[in-house]
Amino acid sequence: MKNRLKVLRAERDWTQADLAHRLEVSRQTVNAIEKGKYDPSLPLAFRISRIFGMSIEELFDPNSDDRS
Amino acid sequence: MDSTDDSPTGFCSGPQRDRSNHRRIRLWAFFWAFSFIAVSLGIKKEWFAFGGTLAGVIGNLLFGLATVLAYRRFLQETDELRRKIEVEALALAFGVGLVGGLSYWLLMVSGAVSATGFAFVFSAMLITQSVGVLIGRRRYS
Repeated sequence: MKNRLKVLRAERDWTQADLAHRLEVSRQTVNAIEKGKYDPSLPLAFRISRIFGMSIEELFDPNSDDRS
Repeated sequence: MDSTDDSPTGFCSGPQRDRSNHRRIRLWAFFWAFSFIAVSLGIKKEWFAFGGTLAGVIGNLLFGLATVLAYRRFLQETDELRRKIEVEALALAFGVGLVGGLSYWLLMVSGAVSATGFAFVFSAMLITQSVGVLIGRRRYS
């Protein structure tokens, strides 16, 4: 699923490690979500939306699937 | 490694919780494997009376149970992607165990192979689980 995580993270000047620390997940999880290889669980999606102050729909595009 | 880069790595430098859970699994697995070998040798060489063998088997069972519980705790506390990778690898290993085990059983019934070789099925499951985890890590990197 496509998402805006990488752009939003870059706007805040956060590294993947910074975001992973805030979300209490591994950096590989953040990397996999950004690349669209892994769709986060609902609780994690809510944590992401809370951190960026946006709704889940604004962060994730359910109409796309860019998994390779 | 620079933690600020965007390269797809990061499990090795995972949370401290994962590391302590891994240590716990390794410790119990060591005791389990050691007691298994000791009891197997004891039975083969007739070191113990029946009571001693029974105590050894119960001890081995308890170490095995502790290993399983430690692994369950790791799965519950680890990062969700890591959990997904581990569970997918476990499912693969279970499939290999089931299919391989039943095929081996058929060969055993037909007399083509001996019962002692059945341990290879468990080895195949362990190897499949490890390979499954490696494949999963690569897939999500």
